[in-house]
Amino acid sequence: MKKRHSGLIDFFALYLPLGVILLFLLFPFYWTFVTSIKPKSELYGSVVTYWPQNVVFDSYHKLFVDFNFIKPMGNSLLVAGVTTLVSLLVSMLAAYAFSRFRFPGRKIFMIMFLTNNMFPTVLLLIPLYSIMRSMGILYTPIALILSYTTFTIPFSVWLLNGYLNDLPKSLEEAAMVDGASRSQAFLRIIFPVLIPCLVATGAYIFMTSWNEYTFAVLFTNETSRTIPVALKNLIGQLGVQWDLLTAGGIITIIPVCIMFFFAQKRLVAGLTAGAVKG
Amino acid sequence: MSGCKKALTMILAFALSITTLAGCQSGSQSISSAAKSESPNQPIVLKHWFWPDSDMHTQVMQSMVDDFNATNGKNIKVELEIHPWDGGQYSQDLFTAAMGGGAPDTAGFKLTSTPLFTANHLLEPLDSYIDSWEDKDDIQDTLYKTLRSVTKDDNLYLMPWNTQILYVYYRPSMFQAAGIDIPKTYEEFLQDCRKLTRDTNGDGKTDVYGYGIRGSKGGQEPWGSFIYARGGSFDNLTSDASIQGMQDFIDLFQDGCAPPSAPNDGFNEIIANFQSGLTAMTIQHIGTSVNMVEKFGDDVGAFAFPDSPQGRWTSMGDTETVMFSSSKNKEAAFEWMSYLATGAGQKTWCVKTGNVPVSKTVQQMPEIQNNRFMKISIEGAPFAGILPVLDTTTDWINNTWPATIQAALLGKITAKEAMEQLDKALYSK
Repeated sequence: MKKRHSGLIDFFALYLPLGVILLFLLFPFYWTFVTSIKPKSELYGSVVTYWPQNVVFDSYHKLFVDFNFIKPMGNSLLVAGVTTLVSLLVSMLAAYAFSRFRFPGRKIFMIMFLTNNMFPTVLLLIPLYSIMRSMGILYTPIALILSYTTFTIPFSVWLLNGYLNDLPKSLEEAAMVDGASRSQAFLRIIFPVLIPCLVATGAYIFMTSWNEYTFAVLFTNETSRTIPVALKNLIGQLGVQWDLLTAGGIITIIPVCIMFFFAQKRLVAGLTAGAVKG
Repeated sequence: MSGCKKALTMILAFALSITTLAGCQSGSQSISSAAKSESPNQPIVLKHWFWPDSDMHTQVMQSMVDDFNATNGKNIKVELEIHPWDGGQYSQDLFTAAMGGGAPDTAGFKLTSTPLFTANHLLEPLDSYIDSWEDKDDIQDTLYKTLRSVTKDDNLYLMPWNTQILYVYYRPSMFQAAGIDIPKTYEEFLQDCRKLTRDTNGDGKTDVYGYGIRGSKGGQEPWGSFIYARGGSFDNLTSDASIQGMQDFIDLFQDGCAPPSAPNDGFNEIIANFQSGLTAMTIQHIGTSVNMVEKFGDDVGAFAFPDSPQGRWTSMGDTETVMFSSSKNKEAAFEWMSYLATGAGQKTWCVKTGNVPVSKTVQQMPEIQNNRFMKISIEGAPFAGILPVLDTTTDWINNTWPATIQAALLGKITAKEAMEQLDKALYSK
């Protein structure tokens, strides 16, 4: 009797609210998917169907064959991947320097990094466009990578600086007492401990670059278009091509989901292991 | 330690040199391509910005570009640059590119953005090109006049391309059930709104409303027809005639000839109400005709907003092309613009996308004349107009108009008070 009672409490206090929240969170994804596999007659029909009467994959076929969606996907992957690598490398080294060394202008640099992120990106649009144009890199992936690093690096430096400040100096000092150089101590001691933080920061950089639109719409053309701009082309003045847009949306979230699936293990393992033991 | 420093320095130097080299390389490419275009055998390259409303539009536009490049006979090569409409952000992107020195030669354009571009001297006046253009008279004078009115310097910066003209959609079966014909005058239209409002199943509740009022954003366009029908105008919203037009609009709602949700109804709602049979008439343009025919077949018709002795007006949606003052090939750019306005491009675009042509010749073509909605759109062209293009217009459309109309429809303010508020907000008195 008591067991049944506690089961009921569990259901109403835990599982029911959890189910409602999950439904609330997942329904948009479900609806996006269902819309992408509906035939046009159902999609634009007056009767709402929660599961299509005829499941069709025409929109996916159209997306890849007629709309050539592979191209923006490749561009997005290239831009987001390179931006992540460049930003991580630069910000990791910068954050280490800011965290471990005391040098003149350190605080001013840190504040400058922060103020950079305070400017709305639209303010930077015209100057950056002009710079990219005169450098001759407009409409190439380099233009996007460079402009993305202008806001991913400062943020990542602050993020990694916070992690590094929490790491006790004694870690490297112990290694250096044992005869390691500063770089060896960094590579062999700090870097492995930093990996979960790098994964988290990298995920942020990747996601930001993957979804960024404001710069992408101006700094790319048909050959270098990224996913957000390609998808926005489906939203016209007089109507929206829901079939292609939702199919594109589903395809877009797949790489991000896969990335998180792998990153999550690292992230959780690293975070729960702790830095200093004993 | 010093080894690590060296390695880091090398990496940084390598990264810097790659970036610089990439810049130099692309820079030299652009210089050489510029030099190339100046040599006699190389084509004159034009860049044209375009926003698609569907991927079909992109394909049609690309086919037109290919056709122009193959047939212009002047070695002009148009390169299409596609940018998303993005709720009007397109114009802002175009402005940013132009201010950053990367303006295209020509671009698809909306007239409401003209003051922003002309204030920064980005657009080329087209008067001298149009005056000596053989197809000048193929476009109605009223259209030139409307496009000229958007700037105060009396120059024409916009080349007409296509329009979307509002007209009345109606359900012939409902007209038949009410025993009425298409209204010939504005007075008849108002009466028909009342006659069409019916309780079809005898339960004491209205099942069909005569007219689907759009009281939310975007409703100022059909609303304008009521104001002008009484002799009012946007130039003087507080005149007795304008106030009477507003009173007609309020009366329709308060007499129960429009759905109770009308004060909040936007585009989607008026179309859904019409398509579900809740309303017998509503005002929209040709963009929704395909869906209407899919839904009703022959049981949907259209007529131009009826005439009135005091005045007649309907709203014109617009798409133009512009030439940028930075273009180095202006003659070639005008050649391309005229291909779009009156040449083969005009016919292809309008026939395939269902937009209303601006060329009188194309308007008379069987492909256009056989389309009943196209025919009605063209019928409305001579009295179609636009809202005044002012600094206040966007805010007026998005905020002032919906809020004021809502209050007026719900009886919180009188027609006179509403028109005074609208006039004040539009002209910032």
